[in-house]
Amino acid sequence: MIKAFKKGLIGFGLLGVCAAGISGIAAVEEAQASHLFRTYKRETPPKPPETPEAIAEGKKIYEKRCWYCHGIEGGGDGPAARTMFPKPRNFTRNEYKVRSTTFGSVPTDEDLFRIITSGIEGTAMPFWYTISEKERWQVLYYLKTFNNQFKESGAAKMVSLGGGIPSSPESIQRGKELFKETKCFECHGEDGRGNGPLTVALQTEWDMPYRARDLTKSWLFKGGNTIEDIYRTVSTGFNETPMGSYLEKLSDEDRWHIAHYVKSISKDMTSDVVIKATLLETEELPTDTSDENWSKAAVIEIPLSGQIIASPRLWTPSVDALRIRALYNEDEIAFLLEWDDSTNRQEDVFRDSVSVQFPTKIPDSLKKPYFAMGDSGGAVNLWVWKAYWGEGFGSVIEAPETEPGEAYELNAKSFNKISRQPPESQNITGTGVYQNGRWSVVIKRPLKTDDAKNDIQFEVGRLIPIAFAVWDGSNSDVGSQKSVSSWYYVNLEKQVPKTIFAYVLVAIIMGASVELWFIARLRRFPPKEEE
Amino acid sequence: MVNKRRTYLMIWVIFAVICLFLFLKYASPKVFQILMAKGHPMPTPSTLMMWYMIMGVLAGLVYATTSNQKFVDFLSFLLPDRGPVIKSLLQKVLFVSFPVLVGWFVYSWSLPGAASPVELRIQHPTLPQNYEKLENPFRHEDAETQRLCIEEGKILFQTYCRPCHGSKADGNGPFANAFRLRPINFQDPGTIATVVDNYLFWRIKEGAPGLPSESTPWDSAMPSWKDDLKDDEIWKIIMGEYDTAGVMPRQREKLE
Ligand code: HEC
Ligand code: HEC
Ligand code: HEC
Repeated sequence: MIKAFKKGLIGFGLLGVCAAGISGIAAVEEAQASHLFRTYKRETPPKPPETPEAIAEGKKIYEKRCWYCHGIEGGGDGPAARTMFPKPRNFTRNEYKVRSTTFGSVPTDEDLFRIITSGIEGTAMPFWYTISEKERWQVLYYLKTFNNQFKESGAAKMVSLGGGIPSSPESIQRGKELFKETKCFECHGEDGRGNGPLTVALQTEWDMPYRARDLTKSWLFKGGNTIEDIYRTVSTGFNETPMGSYLEKLSDEDRWHIAHYVKSISKDMTSDVVIKATLLETEELPTDTSDENWSKAAVIEIPLSGQIIASPRLWTPSVDALRIRALYNEDEIAFLLEWDDSTNRQEDVFRDSVSVQFPTKIPDSLKKPYFAMGDSGGAVNLWVWKAYWGEGFGSVIEAPETEPGEAYELNAKSFNKISRQPPESQNITGTGVYQNGRWSVVIKRPLKTDDAKNDIQFEVGRLIPIAFAVWDGSNSDVGSQKSVSSWYYVNLEKQVPKTIFAYVLVAIIMGASVELWFIARLRRFPPKEEE
Repeated sequence: MVNKRRTYLMIWVIFAVICLFLFLKYASPKVFQILMAKGHPMPTPSTLMMWYMIMGVLAGLVYATTSNQKFVDFLSFLLPDRGPVIKSLLQKVLFVSFPVLVGWFVYSWSLPGAASPVELRIQHPTLPQNYEKLENPFRHEDAETQRLCIEEGKILFQTYCRPCHGSKADGNGPFANAFRLRPINFQDPGTIATVVDNYLFWRIKEGAPGLPSESTPWDSAMPSWKDDLKDDEIWKIIMGEYDTAGVMPRQREKLE
């Protein structure tokens, strides 16, 4: 009897091995979905001597890897630069951003090494830790030959970056005051979302394409997002950008305070594949973007990219992330969509807007309509909200806070097969508010509608595919020129059923009985050693 | 009572299983972080965790049944024994924790919650017939012309494909994060190095919409370039793409 039991066990074990193999494949897929932002790496290895041979080697590397963007003469005008914003660095000028040297001077070799190693998140500049350390030194020696200032200025004027004070609520508070007093907010906005009046004026009146950093997005800091990095950035500034150096304007201590404050407002992206819609029992769903019930819903932030799948394409998107929350009750579902935008200026066709996309019915298998506007095999249902613009031809306005904007439903089977639903099938309501550099939009709809053919019908507990798009009017986004996401899922969370405790109790009793039976039997007929 | 020996084999097996659990839960994310040079821990996916644990338990049982002596020892732990306090204490803990564990399993399984589904797909479906015979018109040109084609192709690649596939063809373009089905890393030896170059011609021309459903075309951001790029340009891009990634296309079998 024992032998038969043993064979069974071994067979079972083999089955387990196969199953684990299969799930191994699945795990690889899961791991791929986790994304990664570049980080500023500060370590530098010792550098080799800057000999003519090293420079000649560097030229070869440059003409293999860098020139498409930075140009064969280093002018930042390579053939691929056309579709980029910001443009690649022009090495013939001194427009280096990430440095540990005083404003206006050229970076040190180590600065260049670090930025070449790390790359620049949110721009075309790749990370180059993929080439050897020696190659990185060689190529940067070559870069320096494009600009005489490297030779002429002699030893670089380093900003002293020692010391530091620990972060504390008082320091952050002082930093916050300094952020106002030193007028950082004029460019970066009161809440740091890059929406200050000066930024807007530069863009609109001077047509200067500078975008002050959105300091709330920690992953976009070009020079790194640690306290020390931020302190260095504030001390040195970025050459040839409005971001100046505060070395003279602020004391050393004050620069640390301000760095602590900037760090405290910068947040990481908390992303997930499933957006959980929380049940709001016995209550009306909020229509207002500032309703406190929203805090009951989990926040998920997802990255967006420019739409470059079908032309006309958007190569230089300005909206790169969207925050989503969802609530539902017995009758309705509501989404709160938030994204940062430096202005709320609207023009005739160029309007700030957002859309939520669903398949027209919940798919029974993994098969879905195409994530970008559906396909002939599956239509999508789109909920669009657009900021207010009701002025005469050619006028540009800032959407007033009293105007909630308009919301309407569409169906689409591709980028050029889009139809607006007839008035009797329009079931959504939408309200948008622009405050301190952020759009907040609430879109609401009944869970079920009469138009079951063209509208998604929500069901509790199912995984429902959902995708998003955002347009920024001031970036001339319109039509297919928008920021997009791929398919995610929304799940109307089931409540924990009360019966669960009964099940658990039954399970414990059953477990205990089986155990008692087994032990009783074992003690009655103890296993005998066979000879 | 037959077995007079006092062994703790059962406790050791349980201890080993607990160690396995602790390793998978706490140590392995760190180990993989270091091994794969990632900037964040790599937690073991839950499905995988479950299978590893099942395997661990089975391995323990298989070990305990490798000889009759072992099996008897293994079970003997449950027999009454007026032995040391530690043994009767462990016995009691064991007796209580089994039903509790069963209860906990039932609880965690019946909690509502939706994990994202595992989206398995086939990366390289069969090449459609009308693309099988195609040949790169520049393959037979002289070395200098080929070099120029590669250069031209690289520039086109950097212009049109870079935002997704990255300027090093490593799948790390600035837009790559937005697509849950990530743009392919062409340096990975499992991607374009395993297919013939007309396969790429098909993928570039038809993009996601050209894929069969086992390759989940609805999730793929790969554009169809047939309206934007001429055939010649596509062949040049392919040459530039292989060169940028530093891999070679699979050679076509000679037709007998
Ligand atoms: C795909 C295009 C692309 C390629 C290839 C590329 N770069 Fe860049 N690079 C950029 C862009 C765009 C910027 C500007 C980013 C910004 O302004 O924030 C930049 C900026 C830089 C900077 C300036 C950083 C600073 O602090 O101001 C350096 C140095 C640099 N690149 C070096 C290199 C080197 C060396 C290579 C080749 C090994 C290379 N780049 C390849 C696009 C590219
Ligand atoms: C005149 C406008 C202006 C003012 C004033 C200004 N900034 Fe900036 N700041 C910018 C711009 C523009 C950028 C983005 C530069 C770029 O990436 O090209 C920037 C970038 C930054 C960054 C991001 C650096 C990185 O690593 O990407 C930080 C941090 C920052 N500013 C902090 C501050 C602080 C603190 C103050 C006040 C002491 C301040 N700025 C004042 C315009 C300004
Ligand atoms: C909008 C992002 C995007 C752009 C732009 C893009 N691709 Fe892709 N590409 C993808 C994604 C995502 C995949 C993986 C899914 C798939 O196979 O369809 C992919 C897959 C591929 C594959 C299949 C590789 C394999 O091993 O199966 C090839 C070849 C390819 N792309 C070539 C190109 C070329 C060449 C260009 C430029 C002309 C380009 N792609 C532009 C997103 C993009």
